[in-house]
Amino acid sequence: MKKTLLPLLAGLAVIGSGCSNLERSRDLANPSVPPAVTAVQVCSICHGIDGNSVSPNFPRLAGQQAAYLVAQLQHFRSHERSDPPGFVYMWGISHHLTDDQIKGLAEYFAKQVPKPNAPVDAQQMAAGKEIYDKGVPEQNVIACGACHGPKAQGIEVFPRLAYQHADYIVKQLDIFQNTQGRPGTPMEAITHPLTGENKEAVAAYLQAFPD
Amino acid sequence: MSVPVTQIRRRLSAGATLASGAMVIFSMLAPLDAQALPLFARQTGQNCVSCHAGGQFPELTPYGRMFKLTGYTIGQRVAVPISAMGQITYAKVKDTGKSDDPQADFQKNGSPMFSAGSVFFGGKITDNIGAFAQWTYDNYAGQRVGDSGNNDGKWQGKPSADNIDIRYADRFIDANRDLIVGLSLNNHPSVVDPWNTAAAWMQYVPAASVSSHNYTDAHTPFPSDTTGSNVAGINAYAYLNKMIYAELGFYQTANKGFSFMSAGYNDTNTTKLKGINNPYWRLALTHEWGAHNLMVGATGMVAHIYDDNVDTSDPNSIHRVANTGIDAQYQYILDPHTVTAQVAYMRQKTNYSANTIANNTGIGSPSGFVAADGVTPLSDANDSDTTNTFRAKLSYVYQAKYGGSLAFFNLTGTTNTANQNSGYDPVTGTITSTDPLGLGSILSTRVGGNLSGNPATRGFTYEAFWMPVQYVRVGAQYTAYNKFNGASDNYDGLGRNARDNNTLFLYVWGAY
Repeated sequence: MKKTLLPLLAGLAVIGSGCSNLERSRDLANPSVPPAVTAVQVCSICHGIDGNSVSPNFPRLAGQQAAYLVAQLQHFRSHERSDPPGFVYMWGISHHLTDDQIKGLAEYFAKQVPKPNAPVDAQQMAAGKEIYDKGVPEQNVIACGACHGPKAQGIEVFPRLAYQHADYIVKQLDIFQNTQGRPGTPMEAITHPLTGENKEAVAAYLQAFPD
Repeated sequence: MSVPVTQIRRRLSAGATLASGAMVIFSMLAPLDAQALPLFARQTGQNCVSCHAGGQFPELTPYGRMFKLTGYTIGQRVAVPISAMGQITYAKVKDTGKSDDPQADFQKNGSPMFSAGSVFFGGKITDNIGAFAQWTYDNYAGQRVGDSGNNDGKWQGKPSADNIDIRYADRFIDANRDLIVGLSLNNHPSVVDPWNTAAAWMQYVPAASVSSHNYTDAHTPFPSDTTGSNVAGINAYAYLNKMIYAELGFYQTANKGFSFMSAGYNDTNTTKLKGINNPYWRLALTHEWGAHNLMVGATGMVAHIYDDNVDTSDPNSIHRVANTGIDAQYQYILDPHTVTAQVAYMRQKTNYSANTIANNTGIGSPSGFVAADGVTPLSDANDSDTTNTFRAKLSYVYQAKYGGSLAFFNLTGTTNTANQNSGYDPVTGTITSTDPLGLGSILSTRVGGNLSGNPATRGFTYEAFWMPVQYVRVGAQYTAYNKFNGASDNYDGLGRNARDNNTLFLYVWGAY
């Protein structure tokens, strides 16, 4: 089999080496692939073509702050960000991306329109809104809105949180609180006093984020 | 193959096998190096669980399916596009007593063995072309008997083509449409399929070919085509809006330029198809919501196969096998949980060749057995047969480390006296597997025998497994039968019951 298969595969490689398909490439190590192509050919598989991912395993990127996305992709690429979803998927994806490609990907998702989600539990939502707007003063937790904005739209490296998957938010809060997977942010200290209930409530509120 | 088979044959003693297995595990446990991963992981830089649900290869996640459908082209070309896997297995059949020759009927029973290894070639070749080519070395492919005077019964290994899928794929996607189209040159109907209820992919823990492994889950009824992975097909497929998947392929004998598709198979074992009018088709509907995804599908194939693999000269020696199946797969994947439910049903109708049918009339059973009175001939053999295979499996994996599954299988089908390899011998009027006086008795088959001529086989497989690192899986399966070869009790006519075949199967499965 090797006699035929290996030359066949090698032949295909030689024939194909001259013909990259830049308009529809899924190559993650070619600096010539435009970021908008990578976004729709590869990123969209998990995050959705419009950045509104279906599965809560993958964060919503639609309308996300470009500066935040650039920072995260750079942290995946440098392995500074090492939370499990980060290294499982994103270390490989970002490994050979150029700074220009990272910037282009960030801009692509920043301009997408975030889609709202239906509210779930009214009581939890109310508790979540309280934490988001006012913090938990008795535990010295500051209001989330102070940095992430009154509409949870984020600003620069502070991410947009509105309409984000609740499961993703809870897991990220756990990572800030309990691990060194995302170093270099104020979130480690901020999340320190949060209870499980606090996290669930604020995440539920952010996922729906009613006006 | 430039290296003679005998030179690369490795057979380890039981102790050495276990020791080396342990060494493999511990050497893999030691360096948790993200680079030290099999081929596709090296290509994408991603962890195995990105593509394999809960890490339980080969079951694919939604992302893994897209990786396959887009022709294995995500990521970057790797310099050495090769990876390998190997397996250490152990099978223990519950009752080996009802056998004339337990050494033959239950070879290696209760002995750990390095059973098989595979090498994979392929991955991304260009932006549109990629390949998955598996070449498997069966360390216990056969025993040396009578060739060149080496009649010593020593085990011989054999390499052969396993699954080969070479693809061209393209994806046309914008805000309004997502269309993936592709072509696959492959050697196994349904190997192109990205869901794990497909015939080529539902059975996922390979077992060795020694007879003690005959009753493991790998050899229980699974929906399947009849050709195996030694034919040549070209399939075209399309997947629209992550909703509708359609595939159509045509298969022919893997000869001439396609002979690499059946490499390692000798002429006797290579399926011979008539022409290219052997279509395979597949339709599936898919939906994702939240962490859930569902596929409901149907599939089928019609194959025209020569009765004799080495003689394709007689147009009357072709039988026709038509498969029709429906299947569904549900997955819930949300870290740390992975739940998969699978069901598959396949009906297979075999219309025997004109030659077979011509011999069926008025002679009773071709097996030569007679009715219990020792005189009356059995009914003539059937001109066609139908089987129905149903299989369901539920699995759960926690943290992509600890998993378990429960599977149910049920094969039913028409009774055909031609399928009897046990029965009443017209000479002695008894069921006998021996002929000590040389009377010319027609012998019945112990253990593997079928007294009823009916294929019915039913049971459950329970499994627990552990993945200490992402590319090693250690598992235990217990397969329990309540029907085998058409009966629960005395299915071979010589006193063996279905439950006697219950088997404990242990495996260590690693990939690099």
